[in-house]
Amino acid sequence: MTYVVIENCIRCKYQDCVEVCPVDCFYEGENMLVIHPDECIDCGVCEPECPAEAIRPDSEDGLESWVKLNAKFSEIWPNITAKGDAPLDADNWMDKHGKLSELSEAPGIGG
Amino acid sequence: MNQVLTPKDFTTNQEVRWCPGCGDYAILKSVRSTLAKIGRPPHEVVFVSGIGCAARFPYYVDSYGFHTIHGRAPAVATGVKLANPDLDVWVVGGDGDFLSIGGNHLLHALRRNMDLNLLLLNNAIYGLTKGQYSPTSSVGTRSPSTPGGSVDRPVNAALMALGAGARFVARSADTLQDHLPEVLTRAQAHKGASLVEIFQNCIVYNDAVWAGMATKAESVDKTIRVADGEPLLFGKERDKGLVFDSNSGRMQLTEEGGDAEKLATIHDETNWALACALSRMDDSSLPTSLGVLYCDPVSDYGSDQEASNGFSTLSRDDLHGLLHDGGTWEVEG
Repeated sequence: MTYVVIENCIRCKYQDCVEVCPVDCFYEGENMLVIHPDECIDCGVCEPECPAEAIRPDSEDGLESWVKLNAKFSEIWPNITAKGDAPLDADNWMDKHGKLSELSEAPGIGG
Repeated sequence: MNQVLTPKDFTTNQEVRWCPGCGDYAILKSVRSTLAKIGRPPHEVVFVSGIGCAARFPYYVDSYGFHTIHGRAPAVATGVKLANPDLDVWVVGGDGDFLSIGGNHLLHALRRNMDLNLLLLNNAIYGLTKGQYSPTSSVGTRSPSTPGGSVDRPVNAALMALGAGARFVARSADTLQDHLPEVLTRAQAHKGASLVEIFQNCIVYNDAVWAGMATKAESVDKTIRVADGEPLLFGKERDKGLVFDSNSGRMQLTEEGGDAEKLATIHDETNWALACALSRMDDSSLPTSLGVLYCDPVSDYGSDQEASNGFSTLSRDDLHGLLHDGGTWEVEG
C-alpha cells in the first residue's frame, strides 16, 4: 500500500504534508505534489495534515489513475523535504473540482 | 532453491494499527522487503513478539507468528527454534519488552547464541501504555511516571549485548531505507543470536528523540556508518574520522586538518574492544555508530554438537532414571 496525492492538490499545493513526512517521500511539480509509492511507508501521518484533503490511501476505490500519476511524476519531479509557500491563490482552488486539466507537468523547485 | 518473492508475499490482510507517523511503519517496510530478498518462503519464517507497540509485528508479517507474553518472546523463540531448527526465527520487541520486563530473557538468549534474529525497536519510551519513561530514556525525561524528569541513567543496548556475549551486534534507524534492510540481511545470515538495535521514533510520546539520526540531511554529521575493513569516516565529504584510543578504550575524532582517511581506524567487526568503544560514543562531538558493530561467529546453540549431545542421546528410560535417581531426601522433624 501507499498513500497517493489526488486532484485536490492541484493549484493548492499547501505542502503541510512535507513537514510531517518521516521519510521525505514527496516530489514537487509546478502546481502539485506527488508521493513516491516505493518510498512511502504507509504511516498515514500526512493524510490529516492536508487542508485540501488531497491525500488518500491507495486502498480506496477509484484512485487507479492517481496511483499511476504519482508513480510517474515521482520519478521525474524533484524531491521536496522542506515546506515552501503555497500559491497565492491556493484558497480559491480549494473546493474546485475537475482540476486535472490545470495540472502542470513541469517540475517544481524541490528542496 | 529460494523462490522469487516480493514484499507483498509477507503482507497480511490486517489493518496496521500504529499511530500515524510511527517509525514502526518504516521498519515493517524494511523487514518485508528484506524477507522477500532473502527468499525463504513465508511458511519457513516465524515472528515472535512480547508486548508493546513493536510486538504487533506478527500480525502484519504474513509468516507464522506468535504474540507471546511481556518480555518472554526470546524464551518462546528459543523453544520454537529448538523444536524446528530449520525455521528462520525473528524476535521483535521494544526497549521496555527487551530491556526491562524481558531484560533477563534477552541476556540469556544472547549468551546462549541460538540462531535467532532479535530486533530491538528502541524508541526510549513506553508507547503502548501512553508514555512512561523506559530503560533507554535519557536522564531528565519528563513522562507521566517521571513528571519532574527521570533520574536513572539509560541502558546502552549494544554494550549490554556485547557484555552478555552476543556475537552479532548492529544498529540502524527506522527511516534509513538505504541502510536498515542491509543490516537486517546481515543479521539473518549470521548463524547465532543477532541483535539489531533500531532507533525508532515515537511520534506521539517521544517525538524526535533520535533527531539528527534518522533524517537524511542531518544524519551525515551525527552518525557514522561503519563497514568492515573500511576506515571509520563520516560527514558529507567523508572528511571526519574516528580513531580508537587503546589507552582509554574510547573513540576520538581524528586531528583537525589531518588526512582523516589516513588517520582513521579501520573497522574490524571481530574486534570486541572496538565494538564497545563504537557503542558508547556519549560525547556530543562524536557521531552515533550505525551498521554492524560486531560480528564474530562461534558455533551456535543448535549446531554445537558437544553441547547438544547431552540431550540427543538421552533415551526416555535414561530420562526416567535421571528424574528418579534417588537424589532426594526428607528432612525428619
